[in-house]
Amino acid sequence: MLISVLLIPLLGAFAVLACRSPRLATRVALTIGALEMLAIGNVVWQVNRSGVLTAGRYLRADSLTSFFLINIGLIFGLVLTYSVGYLRHIPEGRFSSPRWFYGLVFLFLFTMVSVYLSANLGLLWIFVEATTLASALLVGYYNTEGAVEAGWKYLIVCTVGIAFALFGTITLYLAAVRAGVNPVDALDWSTLMSAAPALAGMRDLVKLAFVFVIVGYGTKIGFVPMHSWLPDAHAEAPSPISALLSAVLLNCAMYALMRFDAITCRAIGSGFSHTLLLIFGAVSIAVAALLMIVQHDLKRLLAYSSIEHMGIVAVGVGIGGPLGLYGALLHTFNHSIAKTLLFFSAGNVREHFGTLRMDRIRGMARFLPWTTGGMLVGGLAIVGMPPFGLFISEFLILTAAFTQGKYWVAAITLAGLSVVFGALLHHVQKMLSGERTQPPGETATWLPGAPKVLLTDIGPMAACGAALLVLGIRIPVSFVELLRRAMAVLS
Amino acid sequence: MTAAISILQALLLIVAAPLVRGTIARLKAILQNRRGASVWRPYADLLKLFRKEDLVPTTASSVFRVAPRAVFAATVAAVLFVPVLHAAAALSLAGDFIILVYLLALARFFLMLGAMDGGSSFGGMGASREALVSTLAEAPFLLSITAVAIVAREMSLSGIARWSLAQDPSRISAVHVLAFAALALVAIAETGRIPVDNPTTHLELTMIHEAMVLEYSGPSLAWIEWASSVKLSLVLALLVALFMPWGMMASPSALGMALAIAAFLLKFVLLAAVVAVGESSIAKLRMYLVPDFLGVASALAILAVVFTAVMR
Amino acid sequence: MGLVHFAAEKTLASSAVLLFITVLMMAAARRISTCIMLFAAQCAIITAQILAMAYVHRSPEAYAIAGFMLVIKVLTIPYALSWIVEKLKAPRDVTASTTPAQSVFIVSALILLSFFAIGPYMQVLRVDEDVLAAAITLVLTGAFLMVSRTKALMQVIGLLVLENGIFLAALVTTFGMPLIIEIGVLFDLLMGVFLMGLFVFRIRDTFDHLDVSKLRKLRG
Repeated sequence: MLISVLLIPLLGAFAVLACRSPRLATRVALTIGALEMLAIGNVVWQVNRSGVLTAGRYLRADSLTSFFLINIGLIFGLVLTYSVGYLRHIPEGRFSSPRWFYGLVFLFLFTMVSVYLSANLGLLWIFVEATTLASALLVGYYNTEGAVEAGWKYLIVCTVGIAFALFGTITLYLAAVRAGVNPVDALDWSTLMSAAPALAGMRDLVKLAFVFVIVGYGTKIGFVPMHSWLPDAHAEAPSPISALLSAVLLNCAMYALMRFDAITCRAIGSGFSHTLLLIFGAVSIAVAALLMIVQHDLKRLLAYSSIEHMGIVAVGVGIGGPLGLYGALLHTFNHSIAKTLLFFSAGNVREHFGTLRMDRIRGMARFLPWTTGGMLVGGLAIVGMPPFGLFISEFLILTAAFTQGKYWVAAITLAGLSVVFGALLHHVQKMLSGERTQPPGETATWLPGAPKVLLTDIGPMAACGAALLVLGIRIPVSFVELLRRAMAVLS
Repeated sequence: MTAAISILQALLLIVAAPLVRGTIARLKAILQNRRGASVWRPYADLLKLFRKEDLVPTTASSVFRVAPRAVFAATVAAVLFVPVLHAAAALSLAGDFIILVYLLALARFFLMLGAMDGGSSFGGMGASREALVSTLAEAPFLLSITAVAIVAREMSLSGIARWSLAQDPSRISAVHVLAFAALALVAIAETGRIPVDNPTTHLELTMIHEAMVLEYSGPSLAWIEWASSVKLSLVLALLVALFMPWGMMASPSALGMALAIAAFLLKFVLLAAVVAVGESSIAKLRMYLVPDFLGVASALAILAVVFTAVMR
Repeated sequence: MGLVHFAAEKTLASSAVLLFITVLMMAAARRISTCIMLFAAQCAIITAQILAMAYVHRSPEAYAIAGFMLVIKVLTIPYALSWIVEKLKAPRDVTASTTPAQSVFIVSALILLSFFAIGPYMQVLRVDEDVLAAAITLVLTGAFLMVSRTKALMQVIGLLVLENGIFLAALVTTFGMPLIIEIGVLFDLLMGVFLMGLFVFRIRDTFDHLDVSKLRKLRG
């Protein structure tokens, strides 16, 4: 059962690559995507029934896993739908046909799902590194100067960062072995969780391990100051890929960090690790918010917003407790939907206006009504306005901060949110109104006679908007239950 | 007995010096696919030069005639401190490696004086280049030997050689590796070999040592050439004595003497081969890169000294 | 048997010194091919260390790790890198922002820094101090190479040296992680090198040079 969730995208990648014609590739890709979503649904249902699912020694799915699997399944389905239309716009090149796109995307999916299903911290590391490798070619997909530079920077910075995470993993392994855990099992997460109290004697090593892990996986999450790759990579990648990167990959890395944090808290108490999380989170929020004011490029703006929101999640985990952790998990989900919506809108904007520079985009409301709606909804959601979901999760995190006395962190978070509110709405509002400054069709890449905006472009956006509303007004009870169980796994 | 052997080893170095030079030249020729001159050629050259007459520039002073003899004397004096056949040199004091370095510096000083006194511009150019190279080479020279001395807890070259003889050859010591690397780089600079200086060049602008002796002829040139050969053997013998002295005899005996001479010949041939191969495979550095080359030597020597406190 | 034991002992005693030598030589190197060869030598030394430890601790898993290390890191990756250097037809010098002498000075300082850094942990870890210091030195030197060498391929080599250091640190403190994890790490590295090679070609094709310090289009 678990294996199927891994095998479908892996084999599917090769199946898509083997297709000759783009239309066949698209159809195969959609089929495989649907199969994968079914497999994920199956796993989630089974975990719901029996608590924990394992396959062999190295694969494991508990409630936290199924929560994140729902996340990835949903976003992936939306991205796949959107890509169908988006791929019309990508110029033909050496690796630029739809079958390469879908092949790489499925490989990327395989690595991310494997991260979620890893029972073993070493395997977790291997697959997080694999996500970097799988997505590097996707980041550099357009093969322009900016894309190649972004891809290179992404590859190098993330590989270095993840190498530090490997050091942290090894140090934790060392601490476990020295504390008496059987070396064969000393990287297994559930074994480490149960043996964690025994690690209390190896304080220094556990602390050292966590420092390296938060720096390492934090590079992948996009914490300041390790974030230098993120704006470039998310801006230069094709929009569906940017959505995958921002919405899913960041959550993936955060998941790895959460697993480590759980062990560390159980071993030496939450003081050390949570302080670090709060520091990284608060700094990320502050720096990202300030940098959002001076952005010119729409997708870079959205990338910095991702950094900021990951900072909020880190703050939530760092505050901990039922409110903080619940808010953090909910926020990862809400953020991914809102960010996906925004990146889809950005993709439509790019294809219609030919540019992503916000000072050149005017009059969106008149020419792209649906996209405008999507951008408005997404923009309002991402800055935390009710009735959208992010308001709830941010409110929970801030409440937790105040009740636990972390006033400074709460103040910085609030300040950051305010700055982001102003900056984002300022930028978006400018784009929506006014006369268009450049004529359509010159720089846009439309096929003659083809409809300008497809259903597959708008449909996913509408779905996102609906989801955000639902999560903002009334979260389904089963979802709440899943979140509660996921939290229980971590504490 | 020991005194006789010590004097003998000094004489051996002085007399065999041109042979070492000839061997290196012959090996280089073979590597370059030529037949090359015989290894005894430098002796023939020296004899020829001694029979000729000294031509002195009209603008030169007495320094010009005194300098070559002073160079030879200082170099020979330095030879007396180096143990070759057994771990006791003819002269041995605490801190004698410093004396050795400065005797070589004295020789160089006279060489530079003579070069400038000759009155040609190339002499001045060679002297200034030599001053640059030797200033930068002095620090790593002293530091690398100091590092070895600290580890051996001995203050004289003979003492260090004695200590090294007692060590286990299969144990690699970080300090010694670094000091050897630094000293090898310095040796290249001191003896004027590629990549610092080309001893066989005829292009004046690439010369350092050759430029200084451009004006000399006859016996004066012979003294300088011989002194330069002795310096080469001295530096090689120093490397051997400090880092690979095994084969030296512990106590005087006929068998020990035979072994020591055989080991000496073997090691010198090997080092000559290394020099020849090195010279044939590397290009000469341009002058502005030479300080960097010596900078690497300095860094290695400093690291060697610091390592004496860090590693065992 | 005695000879093998002797060899193992000598390897364990001298691998730290040899690694320091390779690191210093890499700092002073002027050509990319020299760096690749030194990297291969480093991996060979680490493989020898693994073999010696496998013999001393009598662990068959370690032999397997050594085998994989030999194939992947000593043979395949350096060969791939040399192939890339040849195919690129680019100038083969290491464009560095520091001269060889300055680099050797900095790397010497890093060596001393690593000895200082592991000092506090020596009671907790009862391991060979020299080899652990060598591992930290590899990590720091890899980072230094990545920062000071502006050629794209040199950044890759710096990254590989850094990973070497982490690998060695794992080795010396825990005698290796479970076999499948080690193999996975090595394969990740191999894939990473191939991808980076691909990107180096793309950089060359797009930008017409290989100087990563000139990749400054995206900023802010």
